[in-house]
Parts: sequence; C-alpha cells; structure tokens
Amino acid sequence: MSISLLTGLVTFILGMSYTLAAVHLPAASVGRANEPKIFPLALGALMIILSISLIGQELVKKGQKEKSTGDNAVFKFDTNLKNISLTVLNALVYSFLFAKAGYVISTFLFTGLELVLFSGIKKWKSCAVIALSFSLVIYILFNKLLGVYLPATPFIWI
Amino acid sequence: MESLSLLLHGFTVALEPMNIMWVTIGGVLGTVIGMLPGLGPATGVAVLLPLTFTMGPVAALITMGGVYYGAMFGGSRASILINTPGDGAAVAATFDGYPMTLKGKAEAALAISAIASFIGGVLATVIMVFISVPVARFAIKFGPAEYFQLFVFALAATASMTEGNRIKGFISMTLGLMIATIGIDGQSGVKRFTLGILELESGIDFLIVIIAVYALGEVFKSFKNIAEGKKKVQKDFGRIWISMKEWKRSVWPILRSSPLGFFIGALPGAGGTMAALMAYNNEKQMSKHPEEFGEGAIEGVAAPEAANNAASVGAMIPMLTLGIPGSGTTAVMMGALLMLGLQPGPLLFQQQSTIIWGLIASMFIGNIILAVVNIPLAGALVRVLSVPPRILYPIVLGLSFVGAFAISYSVMDFYLLILFGVMGFVMGKVNIPATPMILAVIVGNNMEQSFRRAYKIADGDLGIFFRSPISLVLFILTIVSILYPFIKAAVVKGKAKKTAS
Repeated sequence: MSISLLTGLVTFILGMSYTLAAVHLPAASVGRANEPKIFPLALGALMIILSISLIGQELVKKGQKEKSTGDNAVFKFDTNLKNISLTVLNALVYSFLFAKAGYVISTFLFTGLELVLFSGIKKWKSCAVIALSFSLVIYILFNKLLGVYLPATPFIWI
Repeated sequence: MESLSLLLHGFTVALEPMNIMWVTIGGVLGTVIGMLPGLGPATGVAVLLPLTFTMGPVAALITMGGVYYGAMFGGSRASILINTPGDGAAVAATFDGYPMTLKGKAEAALAISAIASFIGGVLATVIMVFISVPVARFAIKFGPAEYFQLFVFALAATASMTEGNRIKGFISMTLGLMIATIGIDGQSGVKRFTLGILELESGIDFLIVIIAVYALGEVFKSFKNIAEGKKKVQKDFGRIWISMKEWKRSVWPILRSSPLGFFIGALPGAGGTMAALMAYNNEKQMSKHPEEFGEGAIEGVAAPEAANNAASVGAMIPMLTLGIPGSGTTAVMMGALLMLGLQPGPLLFQQQSTIIWGLIASMFIGNIILAVVNIPLAGALVRVLSVPPRILYPIVLGLSFVGAFAISYSVMDFYLLILFGVMGFVMGKVNIPATPMILAVIVGNNMEQSFRRAYKIADGDLGIFFRSPISLVLFILTIVSILYPFIKAAVVKGKAKKTAS
C-alpha cells in the first residue's frame, strides 16, 4: 500500500471518529445549545473530505499505473525504528522518574542512555561524564540562576 | 515622523547594557544552533525559550529576536562549509557557497553571507519601522468576522504553499485546528475531547506541540544521518573578507533581494526558504553570466542570504500587528509573547509601544553585533560544526524536556511531548508538512472565538462573514491562494503550448 493511500485511510478514520465525538458533545447550558459543536463539526467534515480526496487522488494515480517514486513509495519503516522506540521508552521512564528521583538523577540517566544509544556502549565513560555535566549545569543554571524550579534530588544537597 | 520618535525611544530601551548583553547572548547562541544541521531558527527559539521565562517582556523578546536572526546568520555556515544546510532558508546558500569552498574561497563565501545577511536585516528593519504603524492602525478596523476571514486566509495560504501534495498540507492544518479544540470551551464551559483526562481540560499548550515537533521530531529523524558519518570541516581560514571586485558583483543583488525578501517574509506561509530561492532564481535570470551560478558565483550566496534575513524581519510584521504568525519561528515567538501575557495584535502597538519599539531598535543593534561576531569570529564559531551530532542530539533532547517542564511545571506535559514528537516524526515519514499544523494549533482557538463572536453578533446569520469589504477581499484572497497552484500550472501549460506551436 502506498504511503499516501495509508495516510488517507488513517486520516479518514480520524475524521470520522472526531466527527462522531463532536456530535456527542454535551449541549451548552448558556447561549445557543449547539454552539460548542459547530466549529468541531466543520473540522470533522473538512478532514473527511480531505482524506477522501487524498484516497481518490491515489486511486486515480494507481489507475494510471504511475511508477512508484518518492511520495508513492511503499510504506516501510527503516532500521531507525529500533532507536526511536528505545528513545521513546527512555523518555517514558524519564517522565516517570522526573519528579520522584529529582532532576539531576533522572536527567543523568536519560541523557546518559541517549548518548550511549547515539555513540555506542564502548564510549560509556565519556557518555557518563557528559550526561553528568549536562544535568548539573542545567540544574544550577535554571534552579539557581534563572529561578526556574526543577525537582530537587532527595538526600543530596542539590 | 511619529515612527522615528518612537524608534528613538526604542533605542533608549535597546541600548541599556543588560539588553545589549541579552541580544548578544541570544545572537551567539542562535548562530551556534542555526549552524547545526537540521536545527533551524524555530528549534533554536523553542529550545532556548526557558532561558527567557524569568526575564521581563522586553529582555525576553530581545533575546528571542537575537536567537532568531542569529540562527539565520548561522544557518548558512554549514551550507557553505559542509554542504549541509542548517534549515530550509539556508538551502539556497549551498548552491554556490559550497562550490566556493571547494575552490578554496570559503573565506569570501563566509564573509559575503554575513555581510549580505547584515544588509538584508538592516534594510528590512528600516522598512519595518515605516510600515508597522500603518498596518497596525489598519488592523484596528478588523472586527471578529474580518479576523476570522484573516485566520482562514493565513492558514489556507500556508497549507496551499507547502511543497509536495497540497491535500496533505490541508490535512496538517485541520489536524492542528482539531488539537486546538481540545479542552474546556472558553465561551460555554463545555468540556471537549478531553477523554476524561483532567490535565487535558486546560487544553494542549501549543508550545509543547512546537517543542515536540521541532526538537524531538528532528532528533528522531537524525538517527539516520548519524549512521551516514560526518563530513570534514575546514578549520583553518585566511582573512575572512571579500575583494572589491567581489563586493561590486554582490552589492546590487543584495540591495534588490532585501526588499523582495521582506515582502515575501511578510506573507503568511511564505518564509525564508521561499524568499531565498526566489532571490537566487531572480539573480540567475538577471545575471550577465548565468552559467557561473552553481559553480561558485558570489552573488549566488549574497542574494539568498540577504533575502532570508530580510524575510525573517518581514515575518514579524503579521505576527506583531495582526497576531498571525507567518512562519514556524514567529509562531514560537508569538507563543512566548502570549506566555508573557502580551496579546500580539494592533493594540499591542498602542499599549506596549516601549516593548515593540525596544524590539525593533534591538534588531538594528543585533544585526551589527552579529556581523561583528560572524565575520572576525567565524573561524572560531564554525568549530561547533566539528562537535559530533551524537553528543548534540541527546543534549537537544534534554533541553526540550527542561523547556516543556518550565512551561507548566507539570510532568503530564512530558507525555504529550513524547506523543507529539512521535507524531511529528510519523508526519515527516508520510510527507505531511508540520508547519500548517503548528500555525493552526496556535491560531485555532482565536479563530474559533472570532467565528463565534461574529456568529453571535449576527444572531446566527453567516452572511456577516461576507458583508464588509475587508472580509470580502480576504475571502477572495483565500480562494486565490487555494487556486493559485492550479492557475500557475495552467499558465505554465499555456506557455509551453505556445512555444511548442
């Protein structure tokens, strides 16, 4: 399936579900009851029209048997998917630890792991040094100099 | 004359030592970020945003302005030296800048790009001084119906001008407007699309979407480039300057491209990239020796560089006077203004003239400082290019999370940041442009509110959107901007037929 056709299908489903949700929005208790729905309904309709046009455009192209290049390339994720998934996972753990472990520890772990992910495990020592300096510098810069509060680390002076 | 006295007042603000310091810091940081491949001015302003949170509005705006045009100055460094543009606006600088480096003329290319950027920036700021007050005054006449039409026009133009598949541009726009409807409706108090999540009731902060798409999304995309290895950067330079002959070849292209860049920048949707490419093609067509373009013609660096810096100034006009950002970067700056409690729009010029004119005056000062930083210190600055991306990108990731946290002090936003970062990456994969979505997320709420205000005033009569001459003109402009690509294609076809026959 071509990228654009798949995009058309996904956005069509999105448009449909958004419109359905918009129809079921509660009525306003002040003013016109339907007012909060008008704009979302228009957006939902627009999305459905756009996705159908995209699907139509793709089917016409297919009918003309155009060679698949660029935009029509078959949908396929490259090997980066692994790195991206690991980054997302790392970020989720970071979000979970952020308030509990404090800024410095959680950021050290997060950026350290990212650096390892980008540079390879062999360079873990330099990664650790960079991650530690980054988290300390940012913490001091924001918390002490700029007055932007960041979660403190339990049991340590910072 | 009024503008000049306001500008003088602006200079008294901008010349305060602290403000000079901020514009310098912003400019240097912006130059460094702008140089890095893949990181443009929008990412620069987004990542450095938390630095400004504790500043006053004047200092914050001046710093962000510095980052913005610093990134425009810096963007071309990587184009010239390693053929890797920092962002779209710097693409045109690779056409002749890199060939110049290959011929051993990197010094002249670096110098002319900084000189052209400087002249472009200053000339555009001069135009801005005279044009912004009349535009703001005109915009005061806008009622909710006119504003609604203006938002529609700005969004339609942006979506329509995206490269590639235009339907995808409009899908991106609609997606952004949908995101903007999430949260409690300001007029009726109805909860919309919150999925029962308490944190979503206050809506999704567009700064989160911006940081996610421009910083996280870029890092996700960069995994691939890192595997591709890195080009060697020239580190030793002779004197970074140009000869009299080179100057003579460049001066007119610079003077022509600056106003062109300014006006293209002021159009919604058409930003620095388009300005630079148009200026380049323009000069190529006007040149007596077009065959030299692409082989290292110095005016091929000068023209796009002047145009893209002028465009970055032009893009501030609709943002400041109408509250409609014309580009990704001005969108981020507008987000920052709103965070500071300032509502961009015509009234801003009346109520906060110190801030506005302080910013405009600082643009003159910033351009001078950046020219100084970028010419003698260019040799030192480009060493940043030899810092490996494998270190830079994790740091960008770290900075985006600090930025997101500093906006709301809520970890909930981290999850949104991750979600929209992945979304930005997927959108890039399926060739859906991000800019229309970003603009829509920012103006979506205002757009709906103007629609409903007008709707209420007219007691449910949709005719109000077509009644005044201003809204009619805007409506026609919207239609033209949607049809423009078709008209252009038809004209090209017609021409081709003529020459064929």
